Formats: sequence, C-alpha cells, structure tokens
Amino acid sequence: MGLKACSELVEVFMVSGVEPKPKLAIFDFTDCEGCEVALVSLREKLLDLAGEIEIVNWRLAQRRADEGPYDVVLIEGTPITQEEIDTLKFLREQTKILVGLGSCATLAGIPGIIDKESRGFWYKKIYGEKYKPRGIDALPLTAYVKVNYLIHGCPVEKKEVVRVMEELLAGKAPKPRGYSVCFECKLAGNPCRLLAKKICLGPITQGGCGAICISGGSPCYGCFGLRDSAQIDNLLHTLYKFSDSPEVEQYFSMFLKKTPEYARLFKRPRVKNGKT
Amino acid sequence: MEKPEFITKIEGHGALHFNWQKNKVWLEVAEGERLFEGMVVGRPATDLYWITPRICGVCPIAHNLAALKCVENTLGLKISDSTVLLRKLLLDAQMIQSHVLHLYFLVAPDYLGLDSGLEIIQTHPVYFQQALELKRVSDLIADMVGGRGIHPTATAAGGFHKVPSTEQLRGLRDEAEKMLAAAEGCVHLFSSLNYPEVKADFSLFSQANGKTYEVYDMKFITSNKKLKARSVGFEKVIDEEIKPYSTAKFGYHEGKGMMVGALARLALQGKLLKGRAKEFFKTADIDFQNPYHNNLAQAIETYHFVQEANGILEKLIENGVDSKATELPKEYKPKRASRGVGMVEAPRGGLYYEIEVDTQGLITHCNIITPTVQNLSSMEETAQVVLNQIKGQSKEKIQELLEMLIRAYDPCITCSVH
Repeated sequence: MGLKACSELVEVFMVSGVEPKPKLAIFDFTDCEGCEVALVSLREKLLDLAGEIEIVNWRLAQRRADEGPYDVVLIEGTPITQEEIDTLKFLREQTKILVGLGSCATLAGIPGIIDKESRGFWYKKIYGEKYKPRGIDALPLTAYVKVNYLIHGCPVEKKEVVRVMEELLAGKAPKPRGYSVCFECKLAGNPCRLLAKKICLGPITQGGCGAICISGGSPCYGCFGLRDSAQIDNLLHTLYKFSDSPEVEQYFSMFLKKTPEYARLFKRPRVKNGKT
Repeated sequence: MEKPEFITKIEGHGALHFNWQKNKVWLEVAEGERLFEGMVVGRPATDLYWITPRICGVCPIAHNLAALKCVENTLGLKISDSTVLLRKLLLDAQMIQSHVLHLYFLVAPDYLGLDSGLEIIQTHPVYFQQALELKRVSDLIADMVGGRGIHPTATAAGGFHKVPSTEQLRGLRDEAEKMLAAAEGCVHLFSSLNYPEVKADFSLFSQANGKTYEVYDMKFITSNKKLKARSVGFEKVIDEEIKPYSTAKFGYHEGKGMMVGALARLALQGKLLKGRAKEFFKTADIDFQNPYHNNLAQAIETYHFVQEANGILEKLIENGVDSKATELPKEYKPKRASRGVGMVEAPRGGLYYEIEVDTQGLITHCNIITPTVQNLSSMEETAQVVLNQIKGQSKEKIQELLEMLIRAYDPCITCSVH
C-alpha cells in the first residue's frame, strides 16, 4: 500500500470530525471468515471500538444492514463470483475508505492457490460435468478497485486491526510496519530458520504479525504480503543453497500466487492435468 | 442494486427461497467455490493441515486435527499419549469457542429480542460477561496449545512442534476453572428460552466409541435409525448430491436428510456424559425431534467440554507432557503410494478427510466431507416441515421462524462449500 492512497484517509476523518460517529460496514466475500472471528475475539476492545463508531452493516453479527453511503467499509474475503465482483465495485462507490481485511482480500491468499485456467478441471472433478460454476477467479480486491489500506494476515493479527482502526479514528493515515518479520522473529527469540537450512519468507515479508507462525514452529509463508523494496532475489540466492525451485515455489504459492512477483519468478506457460 | 437476501448471523452466505403458492422452501448456498480438494493436489501431505484449516475460521482446529489424523493414517505415523491429550484439549477449546460464538452472538439475539450479540452487554450484562469469559479462556487454551487459535501453528503430523510447559499448563488450569461457573450460566440461559415447538422425524448421526462421550477418537458412525457403520467407511454412509442452486453439496443417507452436531451427539452419546454435565443433561428435558433444541444441546455440551478440558489439564500437569510429543519424523514419505482417512467430530458434527499420496509424499487425491454438507439436507427438509406445521402466521413471521431454524443448526456455509 503506497502512502499516496493513505493520505486521503486523513482528510475524511478530519472532515467528519467527532460527530456524527463514522459509519462502518463490514462485508465478506468468499473465504473462511476467520478474520471476522478474530474481530469478535477482540472482545472488550471490539466494544470500545464499537463505542466510537457505528457499525451499520455486518451480516455475520447483526440484522441491521443499512444501505450506504458509509465512511469505512472493511472487506474480508476474495471476490470470486460475478455477484461479489459487482458488489465490490458498488461498495467502492458507496464508501470513502475501503479497507481489505485479511490475506484473501489483500493477496487472494489461500483461494488464490487455484489458477483461473485450472478451475474448469476441478469443477468437473469435484462437482461433475453438469455443474454450472459460479466462481470466476480468485484475485485480490485491488484487481478490481482502488483500496485505501490493506490489513494483511491469515488470519489478521488482532493488534494490527486495532492499530489501524485507532489510527483511522484519530485521523491518521495508517502505514505498514517499516520492518520485516525477521525483526519480530528476533524479538520473539526464535532461532533463525534460514541458518537451520529451512525455507522461510520472513526476510521479504511485512512485519506486524509478531512472527507468530515461526514462534509456533511453522514456516513463514508471507501472508502479511511483501514489504517495500523486498530483496527477493537475495533471499532466493540463499534459499537455493539448500533447496530446489519446486520446493521454494511451494512456499511462495501458499499466499503470494496472485502477486506480480510470483508471476515473475515462477509462472510457467501452461497447465497440465489441472495441476498448478 | 439487486442482491440476494442472505440470512444474517450465520457463518457464510445462505439464502432461503420460498414459493408461497406451492408452500415450498429451499436453501440456496451462494458462497464461491474455493476448490480445496483441488488446491492440495500436487502439494506435500504436510501442507494439508496448513491449508485446510482455512476452509473455516470458526472451526479451523477441527479441520487441522482431522487433516493431521488423515496424514498420520496415510503415512503410518504413531503419536504419543500426551499428543492425544493435548489434541483433545485443543478440540475442547474449539468446541467451546465455536458453541459460545454461535449461542451468544448469533442465536441469543433472536430469543432476547435484540438485533446484535453486542447489545447483550446492556440488556443481560451477567450473561454477557460469562460469554466473554468462556471465549477468553477457550481462546487462551487454543492459542497456547495450538500456537494460534485461528489456524494453528504448533501442530504437526506425528505430534507438536512445540508444547506448553508445566507452568503454562498450571496457568491454563487456573483459568479453565473459571469457565465452570460461566458454562453453568450458559446452561441456565439456554434452558430458560422459549424454543418454537416443532416435531420433525429426522435422522440424527454421530460418531462414537461407545465408552466415553467422544469427539476425537471414534470408531463408528451411529444413528437413531439403527445404523452402526465403521467410521473409516464414511463414504458409504454419506451420499453427496449436487444441486443446481447451491455451490455446496447436500449430504444424504439412503436418500434422507441427516442431522449432525450437538443435538445428534447428545441423542446418541448423551448417556456417556459424566459429572455435572450429566445432571444438566438429565434435567434439561431435550426434545430430540425439535431442531431448535440444538441450541440447548450446544449449551450442555459447552459445560461438558469445559469439564473435560479441566480434567485433561489436571492429567497433563500430574503426568507431565512426554518428550515423544515433540519428536517429529525427519521425512514425511510413505514406503509406497498410500490412502488414508482422518475424522473428528467438529462443533457442527462429523468431519471426514480422505487423501491419497504418491511415493514422494505428494497428495494425488483429496476428499473432504464437512458437517454442514450433511446438515444442509436436514435443514431444507425440516424447513419444509416447519412451513407445513405453521398455520395462520404472516409471511414475515414464517420467514423469521425459518431463519431461526437455519441458525439453530449453526450452519457453517464456508465449510459446506470449501
């Protein structure tokens, strides 16, 4: 997320001031809804936030479903179906600020593992010949509309959600963390995976997650998105000392498959037997 | 702009459609297809339990555990006693998290005349505090044992990357004890509600082992219609049907709808409950033909899982976590191409996984049957029963009752599409 788009956010909240409360709407497209569950897990903090804003539309949590316009729209999930793509474009017109919530919205994330070209094969295999599919392709929100801020994560880190919301409410423009996952991983006291010859995307990934996956013993697959001026080629140079290309690709394809960087590094010309 | 009227306060996008002239109702599932069963093909078996929890953010631990069991079964891996206990503890936390989220935030507003679960803090502050307490402690257990509650990071095929220390387990036990009073409040609240009166002759299904009230280690699938089949043969019990108006398949058993989840488990395993959970079950007077009573069943189960979590924590503190729990295999490759299955009872019912892997340990086939796939058939059939039984009500009232019915099943639409 560039700073240019963020600077517009300040204006909205400077103008809207203290009264009336900013109107927030939360929508979800195709996804697991884990980021909304993370919102609910904020518990008391969510109530604090709910006191400062007015949640006017949230299908998961309430019946109230006001029509726009809104001040802020949070969107979770990947717009896969035509209805979702249309709704996304409609919501863009209805809101001053549009924020992507979680890696499905910000990167296409896990649903993005499936390529557009191989969907047909899997529809037939999973649903049979007669089935009329609804899904078109799993792409991030930014493939269709301009988005003001991206809260990455699979799922989002609760502290990051609170930080972004508080900054928006204070009229500030939220910015991504200026450091990589490595910085937080060191703080957490984890032994370095790369030194142990294990693949890790921490060095090129935006911080903010607290290195939670590595702390639990899992790899970093980069769900927080690539950081600004990520040294991808340098990381690859290190990774190829102890692993091969298919193995490295398996890591990059977990959350980053629909990024331009993935296309540059790994895109092959054709798809065989639906395997991607 | 025209848009479908999605049912609010359920997990995912579902809509009820009516033909009032013909008195017909059907359930549309409109979630986009993510094609998980295709996504994992060509990837290492160990990616299965990283990827598939992302099917559902409400029950990711259930998916994680079913996938782990499936990979272990396929690769022939054994796990230690502590690993089993820690996984059962995780699943208890999952059940509590999921039931509480559903009961207080999605269901309770219907019965308390509120719009949103967040309003309960004003109208019923004591109950709301209890809900927050249950959520807080179950999240804490899930975070500490799973590495992270939503999409675990510490679990692995063969055991755990990392396990909590005895000191951390003691801390968890002190917190878990606090859930007992809150869970009792949960039973009281959901016993006091006026559930709509409906009689439906539906088929209830649960996995079981016949010895303990079990959600992790079952042997067979049983039903109130005299079925007893081996769990590993789940594909013979559940037939998946594809409907033109739904991106989710509908699960049937011998042509009839299936109901799975808390109500089914209590019907089929309830006599195995212990301690106060047993007392609550006895006095609750659950009607197993009334689908709305699923919510009462969830409340009683919440108490049971709180009780079980406390017991497991005691046991782990007393015996310590064995060192085998963190001894993981160096390689995850089978001797020959293999097939395996893994299943748990998820909060909403039986969750079944099947994979095939090649000699490199790469997945060549995957099939997942989720609880809501099974419940969709029963939901649609029961909605029709309710529609037939209700007389002299406005369309709006009928619609509201049917939405409450769908909500009572606690459908997880994202699970059902996957």
